[in-house]
Amino acid sequence: MHDRKTQRVFGVATHLALVPLAIVTLIPFVWLVLAAFKTPEDFSGSLFLPRDDSGAIDLTRLTWMNFVSLFRDVGLGRAMLNSIFLSSMTAVLATLCAAAGGYALARFRFFGRNAMTLLVLGAIIIPPPLLLAPSYQLLFNLHLLDTFTGLILPAIAPAFGIFLFRQATRQSVPESLIEAARIDGASEVGIFVSIVLPLVRPMIGAFMLLTFLMVWNNFIGPQVVLQTAERYPLSVAVAQMRGLYRQDYGLLMAGTLVSILPVAGLFLLLQREFIQGLTSGAVKG
Amino acid sequence: MTTRHERIGALWTAALSPGAWVIALLAIGSGIAVLAMPVRDEPGLEVWIFAFEHGQMYEPVADEWTAETGTEVNVRVFGIPALARRVMGGFFSGIETADLIECERQMVGPMFAGPVESVGFTDLTERIEAEGLMGRINAPSFTPWMSRGRVFGLPHDVHPVLLGYRSDIVEAAGIDMSEIETWDDFQRVLRPLMADTDGDGRPDRYLLSFWENHLENLEVLLLQGGGSMFDMDGVCTLGSERNAEILAEVLSWCMGDDRFCTEINEWSNAGHMQTIEGYAIGYLMPDWMCGIWMRQMPQLEGTVKLMPLPAFEPGGRRTSVRGGSMMGIPKTTDQPDVAWELIRELYLSRDVARELYESNGIISPVTELWDDPMYDEPSAFFSGQAVGRAYIGEAPNVPPRPASPYYRSAQLRLQDAAVITGERARAAGMSTPEEILPLAREALADAQASIERQMARNVFIGEDE
Amino acid sequence: MARAPTNANKAAYLFLAPFLVVFAVFTLYPLVLSGVLAVQQTHGPDHARFVGLDNFIGLATDPLFHKALGNTIIYTLGSLLIQLPLALGLAMLLNQPSLRGRWFYRLIFFSPQLMGLVFVAMLAALVFEKRAGLLNQALQWALDGWLDPETAFPWMAVLDGVTWLDFPWLQSFVMPALILVSLWMYIGYNMVYFLAALQSIDKSLVEACAVDGAGPVTRFFAVTVPSIRPVASFVVLLSLIGSLQLFELPYILLDQTAGPQNRGLTIVMYLYQSGFEAGDLGYASAIGWVLALMLVALALGQVFIMRREER
Repeated sequence: MHDRKTQRVFGVATHLALVPLAIVTLIPFVWLVLAAFKTPEDFSGSLFLPRDDSGAIDLTRLTWMNFVSLFRDVGLGRAMLNSIFLSSMTAVLATLCAAAGGYALARFRFFGRNAMTLLVLGAIIIPPPLLLAPSYQLLFNLHLLDTFTGLILPAIAPAFGIFLFRQATRQSVPESLIEAARIDGASEVGIFVSIVLPLVRPMIGAFMLLTFLMVWNNFIGPQVVLQTAERYPLSVAVAQMRGLYRQDYGLLMAGTLVSILPVAGLFLLLQREFIQGLTSGAVKG
Repeated sequence: MTTRHERIGALWTAALSPGAWVIALLAIGSGIAVLAMPVRDEPGLEVWIFAFEHGQMYEPVADEWTAETGTEVNVRVFGIPALARRVMGGFFSGIETADLIECERQMVGPMFAGPVESVGFTDLTERIEAEGLMGRINAPSFTPWMSRGRVFGLPHDVHPVLLGYRSDIVEAAGIDMSEIETWDDFQRVLRPLMADTDGDGRPDRYLLSFWENHLENLEVLLLQGGGSMFDMDGVCTLGSERNAEILAEVLSWCMGDDRFCTEINEWSNAGHMQTIEGYAIGYLMPDWMCGIWMRQMPQLEGTVKLMPLPAFEPGGRRTSVRGGSMMGIPKTTDQPDVAWELIRELYLSRDVARELYESNGIISPVTELWDDPMYDEPSAFFSGQAVGRAYIGEAPNVPPRPASPYYRSAQLRLQDAAVITGERARAAGMSTPEEILPLAREALADAQASIERQMARNVFIGEDE
Repeated sequence: MARAPTNANKAAYLFLAPFLVVFAVFTLYPLVLSGVLAVQQTHGPDHARFVGLDNFIGLATDPLFHKALGNTIIYTLGSLLIQLPLALGLAMLLNQPSLRGRWFYRLIFFSPQLMGLVFVAMLAALVFEKRAGLLNQALQWALDGWLDPETAFPWMAVLDGVTWLDFPWLQSFVMPALILVSLWMYIGYNMVYFLAALQSIDKSLVEACAVDGAGPVTRFFAVTVPSIRPVASFVVLLSLIGSLQLFELPYILLDQTAGPQNRGLTIVMYLYQSGFEAGDLGYASAIGWVLALMLVALALGQVFIMRREER
């Protein structure tokens, strides 16, 4: 049907359509990165690379100063640490919790399984904003406002995660393997750790990254729960820079850049698993 | 058979991909770091403010105070939304905030919305009365910080509003500003400046920088004309006949072919360029705006003068008020007396009053400092006028602004009413106050109904009565 | 069902225990509490009064809530109707096995999503800035001379005499600005779903259709559309749910406010303002319930439509 030539023409045409779109997608990033290295004068004076008085591009005008004052004056280092801590800790705990729960729902026949499964499925449709006000009230009563615990604890039992791991266990952990291990006399915890977890490894990576991203980018939670500036994660700390350094565009963009770099790095590490894990539920489930 | 040790090693490489490993290690490492870095808890007084400029003013005074009393002062600056969030969060939950907090006017509404005992600031009424501060500080300045008769903060400023105008342009045209007493005089006397000499079909300049959607300036004119949003008992008065008259009047300034107002952004470079070009002659200038103009538009030196606002009627009020802040003591502080000492030092001292005036153009609310000769020094920027004296001259006439938890809402409703009336009037081709008045009345009545509905819903406010 | 062996019960509940405990305390209990709060008025968490259905009656007549509802629906429809067709188109462009650098394109289009709403909002705030902002400079460069804002939008009085450099995105065009940002941010995300769906289409079906002499348009509607329908409806539902909960983007873009004349006010932003700026957790909970009912209705609607089509 298709001969080589029409196929090649078609391929070139596709690239011609895709390349401009890709450039449009990337330009804001380029602008962001360059702005982070520019002085306020150069920010308004030049759109991308800074120019000297004669109008020629002058790379020596790029500066580290925004990053220096970011960590020295604004104190974003502490916020970075808080973000890393909140995101990674929540990711690890939530993944453990979800993997165990998902395994239980997928591979045990126990009293109340149907009810539990319904509970999990039902919980997925609860919109988080509905729980915002009552959770605040609850954390207030538990004296957990303005603590990391108050942020991490509610986030380690994600119904969505249980659901994902239930699917993953069903797909990749054969019943027979577990039975065989039981006959060999392995403990239940042993089976979970040495057989189930390695088999759902792709989902572990995907869900860890997903949780990490969600917590990293979470704004409303820490904004509502936390009170002390030293406890703020990047999302809140960077958003607050706007009110104070309104005209300092380079500084604002440096703060934004610093906030997205760790996430970008992690994503590149876990990219394949992430997209797999993300789409498998929709297509196969 | 492999050893147990090897099995565990194999297990974990099997269960976690490299990326997952990184996250797990980050959790451990950052956990240790977070535990090792406790939240800072410095001795002394913690002061939260919302502007770097204020910090620079307080620093020398605070240092001196520390040297005298031995108590450290840690000043922290936040943006207004961030500060509001933290203060309200602390007040709602009882979590400790700071020992002293400086608040901008727009922040305080919600603080007064609950039962009076739930206001997070210490009631300062007794202290103020005991020290006779009521008489020493310009009376209208207290009103925004009072709720149900109690005072919760010491005022930082008066912020009277005068008319700033481009004296170079006016004088070159041979116009005598002293002929102007009312807004009617203002447009009549200055009208020749609106000629169209470049032939683009539009006036080369406009007479006043004002537009109907400018929330603060709407309030400035409303208060000047004797209108109000709330009365002293906290009852909403948005729908009053006086408000409708003023709204209709100021809207007529922005309507029709003979409109004399134009919109100039006060904060952007683009707006500054228009001001420098003389696109508008007159500006509603609170004292703090003088400092901003001097810093951001130094080119204007010698081309600007101040005069009392033209009145709405002969003999009417010639000033108004815009913005303002206060300092209060949160109830959670464990050293209220020391905090009070520092407030007095910061707000009543002559040094801070000088700094306030010299670097920001703001006059002190403390009446006994008004005789300071610095207020009489001629300002080069304002063509040799004694700016401080001009503002102090009008300070006692500044209109009161009774506080309400719904003040912000009322401001927004007023703005909506103005915009809606403006749209309708324009669509109907109206341009005189008489034509616009019925529309203004209707829109303001809606606005008032909306605020009243909101207030009626509050079950806390009524309880105290 | 046969009775489960007791040790299976024990083991299953052991694995479920962490989830169940945390879930009960931090999801189920707050869910119940939000019902209680919805009939109260509070001033912070410490002062509460019972007010019956007053919160819901208040919402029905609250012009700000109506504004929030309207804005959210405009955003939702705007982002859905513009974004999803474009995402599908992009996925179809990429769905050519012979295309080189496919993973690279996919990564590029997906990347904005990783940034997170807060940081996207920080970037967008400067992109939409007058004069120095990227977008207005680009518009000025592209359009200056043959189209000015006044002619492009003659019904907008605020644009009289305004150049593209001063185009007031964050003053007068908040919703279009938000829709633009979400287009940039989510198009790649939705594309990934569509691409996965396109890749799972049965090749023989397409070929059979082609052998029958069907053109590309016929093939699209006869094979592609029915095959990707389940995924498409999932993506629609996901976008609806996400859009209706819009908060961070406008909130930070507009410097922690609802913008001039509340042009950027959304449902969740109003919930946040009521609960945490004004301190009425009761009113906030009532807003939460209205939002939840909307979402549940949408989800049930989708299930209903899917069921009917299957029959």
